Amino acid sequence: MSNVSDVRPPARPPTAPNPIYAVADYEAPANPGMGQRLIRPIALAWYLARRGGGDASASRAVVLLPLIAFASATALALTVIGGVVMFLNWPPDKNSTESLYIFSALFAGTLLVIPLLNLAAAAARLSARRRDERLSTLRLLGATSSTVSAMTVIESSVVAFFGAALGIAVYLLGTPIVGLLSFGGKQIGAASLLLPPVMVILVVCGMTLLAAVSAIVSIRGVIISPLGVRTRTNAPPIKIWVFFVVGAVLIGCVIALQQMLEVDDAGIFIGIFVVTFAIGMLILNLLGPLIIGVLARRQVKRAKTPEKLMAMRLVLESPKSVWRQVGGVAVTSFVAVVVGNAVSLISLLGGLPDSNESDLIIYADMQTGVYLTIFMSFLMVACAVGVSQASAIYDRSDLYQSLSILGLPSQVIGRSRRIAVLAPLRWVMLSSVVIGGVLLFPVVIPLLGMSVVLSPLSFLTVILMLAGGIALVWGGVIATKPLLKAVSGSAD
Amino acid sequence: MESPVIIANNLSKTFGTTRALDGVSLTINRGEAIAIMGASGSGKTTLLHCLAGIRTPDTGSVRLLHSGEQAHEAGSVVSEMSDAQRSQLRRERFGFVFQQGLLVPELTALENTSLPLMVAGVPRREAEARAGQWLVALGLGGMEDRRIGQLSGGQAQRVAVARAQVTAPEVVFADEPTGALDSQTSDEVMTILRDTTLSRYGALVVVTHDETVASRCHRVLRLRDGVIVEGARI
Repeated sequence: MSNVSDVRPPARPPTAPNPIYAVADYEAPANPGMGQRLIRPIALAWYLARRGGGDASASRAVVLLPLIAFASATALALTVIGGVVMFLNWPPDKNSTESLYIFSALFAGTLLVIPLLNLAAAAARLSARRRDERLSTLRLLGATSSTVSAMTVIESSVVAFFGAALGIAVYLLGTPIVGLLSFGGKQIGAASLLLPPVMVILVVCGMTLLAAVSAIVSIRGVIISPLGVRTRTNAPPIKIWVFFVVGAVLIGCVIALQQMLEVDDAGIFIGIFVVTFAIGMLILNLLGPLIIGVLARRQVKRAKTPEKLMAMRLVLESPKSVWRQVGGVAVTSFVAVVVGNAVSLISLLGGLPDSNESDLIIYADMQTGVYLTIFMSFLMVACAVGVSQASAIYDRSDLYQSLSILGLPSQVIGRSRRIAVLAPLRWVMLSSVVIGGVLLFPVVIPLLGMSVVLSPLSFLTVILMLAGGIALVWGGVIATKPLLKAVSGSAD
Repeated sequence: MESPVIIANNLSKTFGTTRALDGVSLTINRGEAIAIMGASGSGKTTLLHCLAGIRTPDTGSVRLLHSGEQAHEAGSVVSEMSDAQRSQLRRERFGFVFQQGLLVPELTALENTSLPLMVAGVPRREAEARAGQWLVALGLGGMEDRRIGQLSGGQAQRVAVARAQVTAPEVVFADEPTGALDSQTSDEVMTILRDTTLSRYGALVVVTHDETVASRCHRVLRLRDGVIVEGARI
């Protein structure tokens, strides 16, 4: 019997187990309860905040730009409120001028509310809208619309809180400089501008709340789908009926103001003034975007250079957002021309017939107050412009790079950005002065006429202040130039 | 007789520790369409950028010859030009088409097309008249006043082709010009890109992953790890 060899196949050499089998089975979590649904966005926001984004500079910009915006908004808000509170307790030795200072401070504070809110809202919008890629990716991974919306609100609020905290430091550092201003014949000093801690905390909370509300509003305006984030609606067409309503209201106001001049009762006088002022503001806010849209459309047709064409098309793309950016100076410009000229005129003519030395100090204080209000409002607009421009540069970085590749000189893009900001700013300033002039023509026209004839220097000073304001806003555009260069510069 | 327009010699480019180009030499002739192919990271876009003066190579040279000049003549050395000179070169003698079009979104099709002419100083009316002719020639008649968002992907890419051709450039560089389009639209766009360039005796350089697009060119260069492995002709 022959030896029968073992024909069984050789045993397979031992191999390492497939590492995939070592991965534990996955079980999807059960439907989350209410608590989990609330916690999940916070946990996701915290996780992503720690990890950052893929593109380091863009990721930093998502946080840094709104942080800077909120810091500047808070610092300016605290300075303005500090100033108003200081005047509420003015003068230290109470006398008959007390109510004048209080009224002026409240009026100036009210004027600054709009640019301040615009700046804070710009910061909030910027914070809410700069996470497009991340949000759509999360939607692609199955996150619900409410989860990503909640994340946006949480992130914006947190950034606003830290930005506001940073703003406190800027405010404290700035008070010694603002304290150098003279009111009542002496320097006010840094200490007089310091707010009680409770008020500071209230401002920080207000800024955070504003960011949250603005984020909710912003997120409602966009559709976050797994394929990207897009705006829900385009700019609505111009509504003709608005012009008729505004025209009717305007005529009503002029009649009311003419009646006002014949009224002896101070209460009724102030009442009519306040109502007219409020209506004027409303008209400006209704008309602002329309005027910008109409003027931009005309300029698009007339544009002869590429920079002007691009700028005006950009303005026409969203007149409403352009108005939000520069509209804050509308009322200030009007007040600057009217009140600024009135006060300077009185001051330069050596006061009213029975003026004494303390009256002259009051005139000088009013003049300083007007200039300070103009400066602050333009500073706020400049900050808002700087923030919006920086944000736009990041949003349009691909386009700017491609235009650079095409050989488009960077100066053309720079000029285009400048025109897109400064042209609407000029329109807003001129329109507000014209509308204000129509509303208050019984007062304004004689005043301006007197000012130009009797005291051209005071008229010139106000005009120079406004020109300085435009330069300040231009500075907001210039400040973002290095960013544009970095984004669109040489590929090397 | 061949008429060279670009002569690249021994181009090398390194990013950090990655060698994107390693001694690449090639000649591009007028009236010639060249496809540059290769896997992601093979250096094809870097090569296009060096040829177009968007990047400067670490070593080697890129020469641009004027019409009638021969290979032995000096031409303009692109790689030695300043940033401003290279910008001017791209503006006046080159045209570009990108994957996503990258047109100015708020401008109309007509305004986008006339933009390079206006930048060069051509009066708007004249620039728009010429741009309008290009749009009509590319099948976009009646769409001049539409903004880019109101056009389909294929139509937007036609506007990009019109913008690239409106200054009658000597070389048109296209980086994945059909990458975002369906096959039929891709074919149409490639046809107009090729025909409009070659009919003017210009040169077309296309970076692509698509073999169908490459097959429409006279020559296909294949890159691997920064080296031309097929198709070079010096």
